[in-house]
This record gives sequence, C-alpha cells and structure tokens, in this order.
Amino acid sequence: MQPSPPGASTDRRSLLRLLGLGAAATVGATTLAGCSKEAGSRGSATKADAIRSVLPTHKPAELLKPDIPGEGPIPDGYLSYPRTLVDAVTEQPGRGGPPIRTMSPWWGPAPPTVGRNSYLAAVNARLGVEVDPSLQDGTTYADKLNAMLGARDVPELLSAPNWEVDKVARFSDAVRALFEDLTEHLKGDAAAKYPYLAALPTGAWEYSVWGGRLYAVPFPTDGPFAYALFHRADLLARAGLTAPKSPEELHELGRQVTDPAKGVWAFGSVFEMVQQFFGCQQTWRRKPDGGLEHKFENPAFAAALEFTAKLFADGLVHPDTVASKGADEKQLFKAGKILMYQDGLGAWQGMQGERVKELPSFDMQPLPVFGAAGAQPVIWGSEKPVFYTFVRKGLGAERVDELLRVLNWCAAPFGSREFELREYGVEGRHFTRSADGSPVPTELGRKELGAQYTHIGGRVPVKVRSGDTPDYVRDYLGYYQKNIALMEKDLFAGIKLELPANWSKIIQPTDDKIRDILRGRRPVGDLAQVRKEFLAAGGEEGRAFHEKALADNGR
Amino acid sequence: MSAPVTAGAVDAPAATGQDPSAGRTPPVRVRRRRRDRLRRDWPLLAMTAPAAALLLVFHYLPTLGNVIAFQDYNPFVGDDPVEAFWHSEWIGFGNFEALFGDPLFWDAVRNTLTITAFQLVFFFPLPILLAVLLNSLVSARLRGFVQSVVYLPHFFSWVLVVTFFVQMLGGAGLLAQEMREAGMRPFDVMTNPDTFIVLVTAEAVWKDIGWGAIVFLAALAAIDPNLYEAAAADGAGRWRRLWHITLPGLRPVIVLLLIMRLGDALSVGFEQFILQREAVGREAAEVLDTFVYHQAISTQQWGLGAAAGLFKAVVGLVLILTANKVAHRLGEQGVYAKS
Repeated sequence: MQPSPPGASTDRRSLLRLLGLGAAATVGATTLAGCSKEAGSRGSATKADAIRSVLPTHKPAELLKPDIPGEGPIPDGYLSYPRTLVDAVTEQPGRGGPPIRTMSPWWGPAPPTVGRNSYLAAVNARLGVEVDPSLQDGTTYADKLNAMLGARDVPELLSAPNWEVDKVARFSDAVRALFEDLTEHLKGDAAAKYPYLAALPTGAWEYSVWGGRLYAVPFPTDGPFAYALFHRADLLARAGLTAPKSPEELHELGRQVTDPAKGVWAFGSVFEMVQQFFGCQQTWRRKPDGGLEHKFENPAFAAALEFTAKLFADGLVHPDTVASKGADEKQLFKAGKILMYQDGLGAWQGMQGERVKELPSFDMQPLPVFGAAGAQPVIWGSEKPVFYTFVRKGLGAERVDELLRVLNWCAAPFGSREFELREYGVEGRHFTRSADGSPVPTELGRKELGAQYTHIGGRVPVKVRSGDTPDYVRDYLGYYQKNIALMEKDLFAGIKLELPANWSKIIQPTDDKIRDILRGRRPVGDLAQVRKEFLAAGGEEGRAFHEKALADNGR
Repeated sequence: MSAPVTAGAVDAPAATGQDPSAGRTPPVRVRRRRRDRLRRDWPLLAMTAPAAALLLVFHYLPTLGNVIAFQDYNPFVGDDPVEAFWHSEWIGFGNFEALFGDPLFWDAVRNTLTITAFQLVFFFPLPILLAVLLNSLVSARLRGFVQSVVYLPHFFSWVLVVTFFVQMLGGAGLLAQEMREAGMRPFDVMTNPDTFIVLVTAEAVWKDIGWGAIVFLAALAAIDPNLYEAAAADGAGRWRRLWHITLPGLRPVIVLLLIMRLGDALSVGFEQFILQREAVGREAAEVLDTFVYHQAISTQQWGLGAAAGLFKAVVGLVLILTANKVAHRLGEQGVYAKS
C-alpha cells in the first residue's frame, strides 16, 4: 500500500527536546500567529502561448495506409498485419557512448536484465549503444519515483506515468533541478532531425512543457476517453435484453438482471459514467458569462447523484463494491457476477482476449452512450500522454543527441522492422508468425519483453487486429468515432496547473461526503450543504485560480 | 584522564546503553578504570556496534528530518537533498496551527482514541486468555498445531484480511448467500458505520490474537511448575491456581505490553481503515493515520505530515512516561527500571 507518514518514527531523546515545543504549540493558535506562516502552495499555471512556441513542428510519418484512419486523438486502425516491412531508421542511432540507464514502469513479472536477456541484446545490437533498462513495478512506481527524485539520483532516461507525476510534490521544481531542457533540441523544425519524435501528436507534446520549456518526450494515449461503461453483451443477449437508451431503462435493466440468490448484481462502480450520461462536466465548465461553473453547481450532478444513490438503495450494486475499496470488479465482471461496470478503455482488449479463451461466447462492449431526458450526454477525456520520458540534466549536447536518436528509434511507427523488433522481439525466438502474418509471442518472448523500449520512446499509437480479438479494432475505433463529438473540450489543455494547497485539501473530505450521500448515509438533499462547505473551504479559491489561469491565457 | 580514542570507545556510551545485561550485573564496588573495562568488555562492544550503528543511521539520523514540521518543505530547492532542508522556508508553527485548527483532525483523533480504548478492553485481554488456554493443553502436538493455526493470519496483509471478511460476512459473502438460500434476510455487518468499531476489532482479533499470545506463552513457560504442584498439594483448585500463580506470573509482561500499547494509543493501523473507508464513510473510519495520508501525503504537504507525526510521538511519549510512573507506584517494574 502506501508509505507510512513521514516523521512517524521518532525516538525518545529528540522528543524530550521537542516536548517543550509541542506543548507550546497546543497552547493556542492566537499566541503563535505572530511567529508562524501558512504552509502550502498558492498554485501556479504556465501560459499556453509559451507552450506553443516551444513545440516540435508536427510531421506525420505514416509507412502504411490505415484501414480505419484515425482522426485527431483517435488512433489509426489496421485490420491486417503487413506482409512486408520497411526499414524506418537507416542510420544507427548509437554513437558508441557509454551504456544508457533507463527506468520505466512494468505491470507484470520482471524480465531478465541486460546480459541475460536475448531480446535486449538483439535490440541493443541494432541501436549501437547498450540500453540498460530497470523496470519497476507499475503499481508502486510512485514510491520509487519519490525516493529517486528526493535523493536526486535519476537515470539518464526516466519514464514517469502522468498520474504519478501528479502525485509528486512541486514537480516543476524537480523538473528544473533534475532534467535536461530539451527545447533547443526539439523546438520547431529542429525536431526534423528526429522524424519519429516529430510525428508524435502535438496534443501530447503540449503536456510535456514545464515553465515554458520542453522537458519530456510524451507517450501519447491511444484514446482520450477517461471511462467507458462496459457491459456483458453476451449475457444481456442470452436474457433477451437490449442495451438501455435512457437512465430509466438502465435502472429497469438493473432490476431485471439483479438476482442476489444467484450471486448476480447488475452494477459495479458506475457513478462517473452516470454523471456523463446526465451531461455533467468532469470538474469545470465555462458559463455563458465567461466564469467557471463547478460540477456541484450543475443540476445535472444532483440528478446523477440521486440516480446513482437509488441504484445503491435498491440493492442493484454488488455488495463487494459497496463494502470495500479493494473489490475486484474486473474479476466479478469476468465471472458474470456483475453485468456492468466502468473502466478505462485500455482494459478492453486484454480482458476480452484472455476470457474468450475460456468462454468463447464472452463479449464485453461499452454501453452505447445515451443522455437523460432532455440532456445531452458528455464524455470526459483529454489528450494527456500516458507517460513522459525525461533526460537527466547535465549530460552535454552530444550525449542528449545520442539519447534522442535512441528515443527516435524506439518511436518507429507500425509497418517498420524496428516496430516489430521493439514490440515482439526476434522472429523464431520471441515470436512466431501465424497464418495471417501477425506475430504470436513465444514463451521466451513473454518472459523477456517488458516494454523496455516502448515505454520510453513515445510511438504513434495504432490499433492492430489480432486473432484472439478479431472484432476489437473495429469496435474500439467505432466507439470512439461515434462518440468523439461528445467529448467535452479540456479547458486547460496544455496549461500546466500546480493547484493551490487549499484546493487539494478540500477534495478528499468533499469526496467523502458525496460518497456518504451515494451510499445512503446522508440524504440526497444534503448536497446543497456539501456544496456550500466545499465552496467556502477552498472551492472558491480553486475557482478564482482556474479562472485566472484561463484569463491569463486569453481563453 | 587519557581515554584511548578507539572505535570501541566512541561507541561505548551508545553500546552500553543497549546492553540488556548492564542493569543486572551486581554493582562493582571498586571503580574500575575505563581502560580496564574496555579490555574486559570489548567483545561485547564489538558485538553491539553494528546494531548501534544501524540504530544511529536509520533511526537517529532520520529523526533530524523532523525539522520539516517547522518548514514549508520543498525537496527540490538548493543543489542537493541536504541543502533542501536549509533552503526550504521556515514557517514556525504554521503547520501545527493548520493541524490543530482543523476540525477534521480532531475528529480523527477522537475516532482513534475511541478505537484504542475499545480495543484495550475487548482485544488486549484475549491473547492472554488464549495463551492460558493453550498452556493448559497437555498434548504438545495439539498445542503446536493450534498455535500455528492461530498465529498464521498475522502474516496476512490487511487487504487479504478485509477481503476474507467481505467474502465471509459481506452482502455477497458465504453467510449472506446461505441465509438467502434458507429464505432469511441477510444482514450486512460490513457496511454499518454504527458497528464498525466492533468489526475492526473482530478483524484485528482474528489476525493478531495468536501472534499476541506468543509472548504470554513464553512468560507462562517461565513460571516454576513446582508452584503449581505445591498449590495443588495444598488443595488449590484450577481457578485458585490461575488467580494466585498464573496471573501474578504474567503480570510484569502484561503491564509492560499495556504500557507499550498506551504509548501507541494514536496508532490503530492504516490499511485496515483506508480499505473500508468507503464502506462506512469518513465519520466512522477516519483515524489519525488516514487523516495524515489524505490531508498531508496526498496533498503533498510534507511539513503538515511531519507535524502530525511529532504530535503523535509527543502524545505517545507522555502516555508512556505517565503509565510507567503509575506502574512504579503500583510496585511494578514497568518498561524500564526506576532510577
């Protein structure tokens, strides 16, 4: 789980010294006001204009015509694996420099390290420089990252997931202190030197700017939606039911399929998706007068809250979801114990491919998006990259160039030999080819590959059809194309926000109160009270901060 | 006096302080010279040195980091991690003010103390009972088996323990499904805020009762069996022997552990509560450690977290000293001997 709070372990002797201080502190705030100041940041925001001027010039690098062309943040889709591959990089990226230490996250058993890993050996031979990756468990990545940054001991290439970066205190200070400013290497046309980095979408680069300078290479998302509401289409079809088209139908469907005696409930977690069905914003929305409206002030939120609280009250939500944060909804969903739950779209292909081997009829699909009566649904999302790759500060321009050339190799697009080697390893060793030409990983491939090069290099995301999930690419891209127009534009896209401490502090207590209402521990009518407390304790400060950030950026 | 400057001499004060036999050796009448003592004790000092060094490096040194309780700590100012301490802004008691001015903090403290008090009554005595019970088993084999079974859950993580309880007692758990099949309406103990304190105590008992019994079993083994035989010969029954021999024999250990538990009054665990928070809500499940996690760690206010840690440690120290004093008054030895 999480680390214990700092300062929790103390010893007797130092405490004796501090005892006097502690006692003094309890005397009363008034006597101390003279000698103390408030801690915590007041927040800051980087300007978007400054961001635009440092971005690389976007130059698409498409080796193969996609079967389903992507649009904006939607990736390209390919329905077959190419029979002939091309060489994307002709000049060896390595300049014979010393080994490159990297660190990136991996969710799975750790592959063997350099020297005992034939995949790494094969790729390093092509690179002309030794990359020595250190893979860390993705679920506890923040612990390692925090310690590393605190000790200021970072590898030459460091991949950090966006959600972990958000957890690191004063990350912009860390960036300036520890990482190389890549602006001069990649700004504007300079990026043409690294064509596959220049091919990464501009929307992803926008987020890689701290303090007006370009500090990271992004790993773009393969789909900007935050959630989908997955349902078991196979089980609904077998029961002769069809997908609901309104909240009322959703509730009715829940009532029909819930059967506690069989251990089946309709829903896992759904609240975030319900908010979107009711047309509620993720956090802020622009009001006609130009100011910002928080979602608590939107009647749609109250309606979504009331609707979801009713699902709980009527016993349509699985008791494990009600009882514990650790409820494994994926497991319940796979076993048919719940028929619907919300998850990131990234969960789709893996689960479908895994489960269909045991249960050929298994079919998970995102529920078609619908709106409440008279309301237009929205979809939450952004083009925020999944990972950022940082380069250690102070390596010298030549070495930085070598590292960027390596990253450029790692970003080679679909249809190239480099892509295949990076994603699947060496043919005959790490993968075999199926009848349709697509690679199938071998035991060794599964053991030795851990996205060692993929997670640091960015790559333009694509969706490629695979044998075990034949319909996935069409379904996935179809869902995006159908709903992309509903995606609410991120008002703050490209603006790096460091939120005020009072705002961060009010999130959890407010979340607790909303949850109390959801679970029926407080009446729905209490929302007005919750909203008032929220706005008073930091919500208004947060609004002013966000409004100012927009105003400063001329938005 | 010319004290020899050696590694051993430097370590000596810390090392002898750690030596548990130091207090028990009979007072030496003739004051030996330090050099003689060093010559005599150097193997002991050498043996203690690694432990003392560990303590110094991993406990005493990090303790200095508590200065951030008085800072708006920023780990990235200055040129290296040590400089970050000097360059972070000093804000006096700002962190403590924020902490003590927060009603949520006092809610958490109140919850924590309530749970501690409840568990002192309903959890603390149970390992003693279990130990006495196990000790009365004649078959050493059976005793070993039962002991293994009851102390193994100690090694389960809280995630497992909570999942186990959910699977057994939750709304879709074994009990609920059995009751449904029998046509009864299942009750759900996992999501009731009013009985949450009973639930967490039951979980703690299930997890740790066997582990807690180990030290009492050791103490029981140290009681002279002749006492029992003599008492039995004098006609003392089972209960009299328990009351007059077993419990007095355990008393020093009980008092010691009670004092230690009091010193930990503001810690009742973290994962157990964060895992079940959504099920029962903040009002029931917020304890000091989860408060610090949500309000200081998640919001990246390290100074505030350090302030809460200091508060906890100070309260713990005061409680330990007080409890120890009371123990001395009552004629017990307590955690450390009266000086």
